[in-house]
Amino acid sequence: MTQLKKRLKSSIQFLLSCAIILANLFIAKLIMHTTGGSFPAPLLGMLLLVTLLLTGIIKEAQVTPFASPLLNFMPLFFIPAGVGFIEHLELIQQYWQFLMTALLLIPLTSLLLISHIISHYKSKDQHD
Amino acid sequence: MINYWWLSSFAVVGLFLILKWLNGYSEKPIIKSLTNPVFLAITIIAVLLVSLDLPYKPFFEHTQVLSVLLEPAIVALAIPLYQQFVHIRKNALLILLSCAAGIINATFVGALLGLFFCAPSELAASVAALSVTTPITLLVTDSLGGIASLAAAMVIFIGVLGAVFGFIIFRLLGIGNDQAQGVAIGTTCHAIGTAAALRENPKIGAFASVAMALSALLTALIVPWLYPFLQQALL
Repeated sequence: MTQLKKRLKSSIQFLLSCAIILANLFIAKLIMHTTGGSFPAPLLGMLLLVTLLLTGIIKEAQVTPFASPLLNFMPLFFIPAGVGFIEHLELIQQYWQFLMTALLLIPLTSLLLISHIISHYKSKDQHD
Repeated sequence: MINYWWLSSFAVVGLFLILKWLNGYSEKPIIKSLTNPVFLAITIIAVLLVSLDLPYKPFFEHTQVLSVLLEPAIVALAIPLYQQFVHIRKNALLILLSCAAGIINATFVGALLGLFFCAPSELAASVAALSVTTPITLLVTDSLGGIASLAAAMVIFIGVLGAVFGFIIFRLLGIGNDQAQGVAIGTTCHAIGTAAALRENPKIGAFASVAMALSALLTALIVPWLYPFLQQALL
């Protein structure tokens, strides 16, 4: 009997967690639909949920039963979309120099910029 | 003719699980990064579809069950973001500013390169949001009119590059500060870089996790407004 109760409780917790995440997504989609903005709705949903967690309206434990498996398997969900680049192989072939330069220069410049900003302020902190 | 496309979802899940299991066996950090299951799964499926002359559309349609879950998963990213917020209080402003600087730099360099190489607008928009985790890049690039799948593949490749060469670059340049290394790797090389950072040193990994979560938030807030502004300003 107690095991049945435990299972029932965890099922309700899972459904509640699922409802919270889907409600945030739905509200975000509704906001973007009514305002006609181009901001991606799932990102707005993420921001809404962060705000609810930071203000304490929703507790972390209420969201984790559904969020944890979703986050663990997240890479799986973008594999089909990631393969889509094969539809643009001609464009990639035509502009491969641009793409290769972007692939190297964008992370390299950001990596150097960020590490230098922090190193600079940290060494200044130690001298002060 | 029998439609075998319905097997696509099972094939993707099976391939991913096998690759993840194999990745768990490698102990050398470089091998672990190069055999990243997402990177390998995308490469193997792309090579198979192209070499067998199979169309992408039915593959994508029959794997919708996986793609549909991406939206609630992005909402669920709020959890690691919330968890990391607790840890950044002490260095909040410095981490926030350096993350923002990295994201602005990435978008700015992307826009400049697009202009320099006279890239068509959809291709130029595809490199506007590369300094962030893959699911966010898919959405932001799509909203900018870019090729989301290309951006996603590039982001994953950048992650692998960062995981393999990131710490070599730091050593060559004499950047030894843990916070500097962690925030830089987390912002530019997201999850794959963060995993490598955690293997390198737990403290660097912690800063990388914070920066990765923060860059997801900042990219969502900054890039959709910055890129159109840069496009107008540079043209």
